[in-house]
Amino acid sequence: MDIEKSTQELADRLQYIQDIFGSRQPGDVALLAEKLAEFRAREQAEGMPQKVKLLAQIQDLFDFVEKKLDAELVPMDKVRIVRHPQRITLKDILEFVYDNYTEIGGQDEYSIDPSMVIARAYITRRIGDKVHNQPVMVIGQEKGHGQEFRNGGSVKPWGNAKALQYMKVAETENIPIHTYVFTPGAFPVEDYPGAAQQIARNLYEMAALRVPVVACFSEGGSGGAEAIALADTRLMLSHGYYSVISPEGAAAIESGIRQGQRAPVSMIEECAERLKITAADNLRMGYIDRVVHEPPLGARPHHYDFFKRLRQEMIMATDEAFLGVKGLGLIRGMALKRRKKDAVADPESMFVRWVLDEGAADRLVWKRYSKFRNMAKGAMRDKTPASRRLTDSLQQVSWSTYSYLRYEFLRTYGKKLMTLAEETRAEAGVVLEKVLRPFKSGGARKVDTQTIQKLTELSCAEEGICLTGDWDGGYVSPKAREDKAVTCPNASTHGCLDLWAPDLFGDFAGVCQYCGHHFPMEYQWFIHNVLDKDSAIEFGQDVEAGNPLDYPGFDQKIEEAKRKNKIKSSCLTYEASIDGVKIVIGVLVAPFRGGTVGAAEGEKFIRALSRARKKHYPFLAYVHGTAGIRIQEGTNGVIQMPRATMAVRRYIEAGGLYTVLYDTNSYAGPVASFLGCSPYQFSVRSANIGFAGPGVIKETTGIDIAPDYHKAYNALARGHIQGIWDRREIRNNLVQAFQTIGGRNLYYR
Amino acid sequence: MRIIQACCKLGLDFVCVYTAEDEASGHLSLARELGGQAFRISSYHDANEIMAVADHAGATAVHPGYGYFAEDYRFARRVCERTRPMIWIGPSWRVIRTLGDKINTKRLARSLGVPTVPGSDRPVYDELEAEEIADSLFRFQAEQGIDLARVLVKASAGGGGMGIEEVHNLDHFKTVYRRIRNYSKRQFHDEGVLIEQRILDFNHLEVQIAADRHGSIAHFGTRNCTIQSTGRQKRVEIAPGFAPDQIKYSFDAAKVLDDITNHSLAIAKEVGYDNVGTWEWIVTPAGQPFLMEVNTRIQVENGVSAAISRLKGQPGVDIIKEQIRMGLGDPMGFTQQDITFEGIGIEYRIIAEDPANRFTPWVGRIDRFNPPQAPWLSMHSQIPQDKPYVIPTEFDPNLALAIIWGKDLAEAKSRGVEFLDRLVLQGQDQEGNPMKSNIAFLREKTSDILVF
Repeated sequence: MDIEKSTQELADRLQYIQDIFGSRQPGDVALLAEKLAEFRAREQAEGMPQKVKLLAQIQDLFDFVEKKLDAELVPMDKVRIVRHPQRITLKDILEFVYDNYTEIGGQDEYSIDPSMVIARAYITRRIGDKVHNQPVMVIGQEKGHGQEFRNGGSVKPWGNAKALQYMKVAETENIPIHTYVFTPGAFPVEDYPGAAQQIARNLYEMAALRVPVVACFSEGGSGGAEAIALADTRLMLSHGYYSVISPEGAAAIESGIRQGQRAPVSMIEECAERLKITAADNLRMGYIDRVVHEPPLGARPHHYDFFKRLRQEMIMATDEAFLGVKGLGLIRGMALKRRKKDAVADPESMFVRWVLDEGAADRLVWKRYSKFRNMAKGAMRDKTPASRRLTDSLQQVSWSTYSYLRYEFLRTYGKKLMTLAEETRAEAGVVLEKVLRPFKSGGARKVDTQTIQKLTELSCAEEGICLTGDWDGGYVSPKAREDKAVTCPNASTHGCLDLWAPDLFGDFAGVCQYCGHHFPMEYQWFIHNVLDKDSAIEFGQDVEAGNPLDYPGFDQKIEEAKRKNKIKSSCLTYEASIDGVKIVIGVLVAPFRGGTVGAAEGEKFIRALSRARKKHYPFLAYVHGTAGIRIQEGTNGVIQMPRATMAVRRYIEAGGLYTVLYDTNSYAGPVASFLGCSPYQFSVRSANIGFAGPGVIKETTGIDIAPDYHKAYNALARGHIQGIWDRREIRNNLVQAFQTIGGRNLYYR
Repeated sequence: MRIIQACCKLGLDFVCVYTAEDEASGHLSLARELGGQAFRISSYHDANEIMAVADHAGATAVHPGYGYFAEDYRFARRVCERTRPMIWIGPSWRVIRTLGDKINTKRLARSLGVPTVPGSDRPVYDELEAEEIADSLFRFQAEQGIDLARVLVKASAGGGGMGIEEVHNLDHFKTVYRRIRNYSKRQFHDEGVLIEQRILDFNHLEVQIAADRHGSIAHFGTRNCTIQSTGRQKRVEIAPGFAPDQIKYSFDAAKVLDDITNHSLAIAKEVGYDNVGTWEWIVTPAGQPFLMEVNTRIQVENGVSAAISRLKGQPGVDIIKEQIRMGLGDPMGFTQQDITFEGIGIEYRIIAEDPANRFTPWVGRIDRFNPPQAPWLSMHSQIPQDKPYVIPTEFDPNLALAIIWGKDLAEAKSRGVEFLDRLVLQGQDQEGNPMKSNIAFLREKTSDILVF
């Protein structure tokens, strides 16, 4: 026995324990250190058998203490576990969970993004004499045990694009996908394809992948995690975390510190606790399906038993996904259920063919949609009275029926009738022409009195005399009621004169007359002055933002936001019309907690999309401003990214037109999901669009970015958005957009 | 200058503003002479500076003069609605806003049965509809015996001569229509166009309206401003608009004058007009008037109307004085019956320009400026008579206004010629070439004034 090697292993274990407990070192750790030192001191003097005996004793002690300490782990310790270089990585999993694999799309540092690893692997099942090799596509972030070039698993936009490419390959090959989430978050750069936009694209595509996806979370850092985690079954390692933001990030926001400073350690630990990031928390909230138990203090590469367990869980989850949608498999499904209860049983003793036919793939996609649709139901307050809920659902049925009759039934049969009528008229016209020709006079046509009247008298008197005079009655910004001159920030470079506030905010829509600089306006300005007058009717007001994590102090903050803004969540949904075209719009209101999106906002957005789908109306997302996902809601917020994106996809596939318009700062989660996935994203000149703000970019990447990094013009140049509008021209441009682009089910044309 | 003088007549205090280029201007020396304050600002276009001066001086009312802010309803609104509100000497800003929009004005006129230029009175978006209007406009003109039928296509969101094109025949129309529509879409993000008859031969008439803040409205007669430069800038204005008792017209000129006056009053009444303003008309050779636009301000040529007006039989009417007085809230104090008219007034605008060379402005120094004196003549000029004056290049090269009165057309014309002959105006440019002015042009035009 190699005493030296074993001693070194113990020293590593000790170091690991010391690392993960950070500044808070329990007494037991000191005991271990003491015992190890004692052994080292005595080791030289003892004979071999004695050494082995002592070593075994001390190893037992380590096992015992690790088990004991495991119960004492606080959430922040788990964060340290997943970030530790000794933590298992994707490469370890490929090595020990799968029977064979080939890495594709790059090798080590020779890869477009070494932090994203993709492999074609297979799992071998031996059933009786028969050997089944079942291929899977494995996709995940690779932390590389501290290898510098892996970037800690922080994936660049092109890494996520690579992941998406191979998901599509798996779809073509009709093989299941296993994804492993090992990321602290996406690398927040905007270079094409763009952090936010690419994650949005991934979510949009994954929403309807026609092969099963099983995800396994170790480190689930917000948007970066979602990029590969929209799955049919979501497993989580017991010592992992899945969170909306890193505890450090939350603490920085919470304590309101400036860039470059560090939040106090106690605050970081507290935030880790409050955000409810552990596997147990997420299981309870329903955002993961099962927990894979790890050895005490977290899995490291030498825990071979753990890999075996993980393999079984992955196989079981995949089997489950297939059996759930396959026509035949009742008995095996029941067996699977039994097996889940009795974790010891061997899933490899049963064979499930990992192939889906078309019908089963349809069911799979529908099941995935339903699964996410039903998440986070308890995380918001729906105060709709029961009686209204009933009438609402009846109403929805009637919309669907009406839409079917009008746009499906009548379109098909109506068209035929119309063609027939047109043909008949044309025929009759020829006959009439022939009959009447001899009677028609040849000379110049006279101007009749009616024509003269048209040229000289008031036309369309019913529209009122002053066509452009509808100045009164629109929304007037409170800023337009102040008697003061506003200086444009570009005054020194563009020579703009000061603007009188009532002119600037009342008449010019907050746009400097001289240089075109856009001052922020209230969201009400859009509702009242861009949409047809008094056409906006709000719905869904009863869904209120809450405090699902009981985040300390947040109840007051959210009540304060509700009181101040006189609205119940940052997402407002309306049915309105613009130039007579009926539309449904979802607004993200910047002053309400920064326009952040939580469970209530996501739910309202999804309901609005469903209304637009049922009524066959175009949908407009007007982003007055959004700072991202509401961090105080934790994963209840993050889960809105896949949820709402799936709803968008469903709407678009049903033939809808989904347009997004950004007005001011639009960042993070929403842009990286249900907004960024729109094929038609436009921006007002004033908008900043991106994944993370300048502070976060500096903090996470160390890169200093130019002040205009997120400006709409740069977003346009990078291909993230389709156009930039002047705020005064929003209405005209929207009308134009609705006239020229659109899905197949929109009937307004 | 005339505003300062009017204030003095009313016994009101005043302050005025000037820019560095206007340092030598007559209004400044007059203001100082009369004991008023004058403040230098960097630009007449900067409302903030003007407000700051007004606050500093404690002004209670603002007179915008003839230009810049006079027809800017936002400026007027700012004057009235700021925390320290002031009185706006001019019609209320809502009236300025309504009548500042040409489409609104046209529709308003049509709703009252007031004649306007044939054509559309709202933006046309549909190509077929546009073509139909153009077609009927050509036929309409043909029927009236107009040889050179023309149709104008304008960008409805445009202004100031941008995006306007003339069409000679219907075949040509579609291309022009599309060009203007696309231009308008690019420039103003609006595809709407207006289609109107282009009237080539016409007289330009004006009706001077005055109203107080209490609903009384009166008129100070008509003017004829047909004599213009090639750039459509007025050079000679005559009051009244026609002289049917002395010249023979091919139409009933007296009725035309009555009609346009009554139409103007009707519109003023409809919008609740509450200060002075000018209704601009064009009259075709057939005697058909069309309303063009409304200038919601006092105009330079108000003096010529005042010259022929008699208030309760007395001469010496000052419309600017009446404007300020009624603007401050005084009731009118007279009725239409109290206003009578006598004789003919001619107003000459004496300008340093070269009429032979497309009215190019002349730049240089004026060495001698000696207008004659006569009881039938009044002069308004910022040019000093006792020292040389360098014409500032930044503004209109308007040197002087001369208003001549005669008891009939013949007398007015002969006095006009006499004045122009006796006027001494000399100067030279940087190369030493003698000064150019429009005096000869004015003299030549005097012979056939009011003839149509």
